[in-house]
Amino acid sequence: MLLAMELESEVELAGHHVTATAMSRSQAREAVSIERPEFAFVDIQLQDGPTGIDVGRDLADEGIPFVFVSGNIKKIPNDFVGALGAIEKPYTVAGMKSAIAYISGVIEGRSDLPLPASLVLAEDVEIIRGGYRVS
Amino acid sequence: MPDNEQRRSDAQDAGERLVARHVREDPFAAAFKATRMPMIVTDPNQNDNPIIFCNTAFEKLTGYSSREVVGRNCRFLQGEETNSETVGRIRDAIAAGSDIAVDILNYKKDGTSFWNALFLSPVRDDRDKIIYFFASQLDFTNVKSREADLAAARHRAEEEVAKHTEKLEAALAAKTLLVHEVDHRVKNNLLTMASIVKLQARKTKNEDHKQVLMSVLNRIEALSTVQRKLFTLEDVSRFDIADVAREMVTDLVGATSREDIRLTLDLHPVYVPAVKATPLSLIVNELVGDAIKRGLSDGGGDIHVVIKRLNGHFLIRVEDTSVPVDVDDETTEIGRILLENSAKQVGAKIEKRVEGHRTTVDVTLLVEAPQENDS
Repeated sequence: MLLAMELESEVELAGHHVTATAMSRSQAREAVSIERPEFAFVDIQLQDGPTGIDVGRDLADEGIPFVFVSGNIKKIPNDFVGALGAIEKPYTVAGMKSAIAYISGVIEGRSDLPLPASLVLAEDVEIIRGGYRVS
Repeated sequence: MPDNEQRRSDAQDAGERLVARHVREDPFAAAFKATRMPMIVTDPNQNDNPIIFCNTAFEKLTGYSSREVVGRNCRFLQGEETNSETVGRIRDAIAAGSDIAVDILNYKKDGTSFWNALFLSPVRDDRDKIIYFFASQLDFTNVKSREADLAAARHRAEEEVAKHTEKLEAALAAKTLLVHEVDHRVKNNLLTMASIVKLQARKTKNEDHKQVLMSVLNRIEALSTVQRKLFTLEDVSRFDIADVAREMVTDLVGATSREDIRLTLDLHPVYVPAVKATPLSLIVNELVGDAIKRGLSDGGGDIHVVIKRLNGHFLIRVEDTSVPVDVDDETTEIGRILLENSAKQVGAKIEKRVEGHRTTVDVTLLVEAPQENDS
């Protein structure tokens, strides 16, 4: 879980508190029930399989905003199951930093921030997938 | 006299009357009798439209003698597999007094079937009354069986193609899965490598070590960015260097968190084959990294990155305005080696100019990949 650990250090470097890291869907549920996070980073491929999508659904049900972190954005369902967007792997330190800064801003209610290249928003997914936008 | 016998005799009489009208030397009658085309004449004015005459070719085709067929309706030629719809069409044509040409399966005396290209036509007298029906038969069983052979061969070929297609599709699916799996691992491995280096950089107390580790991390990340962009491509022969450069350069400058380093971009899509993506991305990475280093040691400055096409060539230009100071020898040397090797790999030419505060590096190389029209 080296990747999770390094992500944790990036999030903390940006001045945030990490409530928990989880390696499976059940661990994620438990972690959320112990301390409710303000935001979550969800890898799609977890120890119990590609259950990140389900974790995303659980978070959406709880009303907790999140982004997917994935090596293959095309695997995410079209509606993004309620995610704000996705950070594509392998991300760079700078890319993750700017994504975290953008996400922090969005959670604080700012809408004037420029979108970093490292973050693909759910509403832009149609552009990425098929070269057109539905809405 | 039984009915059947009576009918046969009536039909025969009619046939004889017909023949009697033609003198022996009548070429038409002679032709009718001698032609290789099986033919019959029927009399619709007698009960059940019996055959009143058949020629030798008809006898030969069906195996029936003239004696056996005269007085009977043609339907004795039909059999088990004769299409009743076709029979219906013939019946309708006779009732309507019109011509008809149909393909019908008929049966010989010995029970074997044959495909008959039947042509049937009414013969009218002066008052337009139908007095006879004339019918010719043509055995095209051979053609029909050749058709069947062809159809069977085509069917076999189609089955074969379908089987191969299925195999190919399965192979393609397996290969696609493999490519996805390999891509996933490559991405995760790159990220893991980066994480290991980062972890070490974070833990070390030695500033020099930290710098070395961060410069390794920087190159791993350049490769990561290429890999990430590569797999989203539909066509690996068209990798847009400007696209990867935009992200890489923005990342690099953004990571400095220095507002006194100002970045301007003049990027146009330039497509290169995937194999050139890595060396070219490393070139951009080294040039911009170098400019940033000088900007960092100076008091900031402007960095301008240009990627565009110039008649058959393309240009990567990185220009910066900062007091050119020499960074430490080792760093400069490594950057130079990476730059020169990458340039050599893609056959690019590097040209560096220093004019006062302005450093310009031009990298030019031939474009081989098909380019899209300017948009």
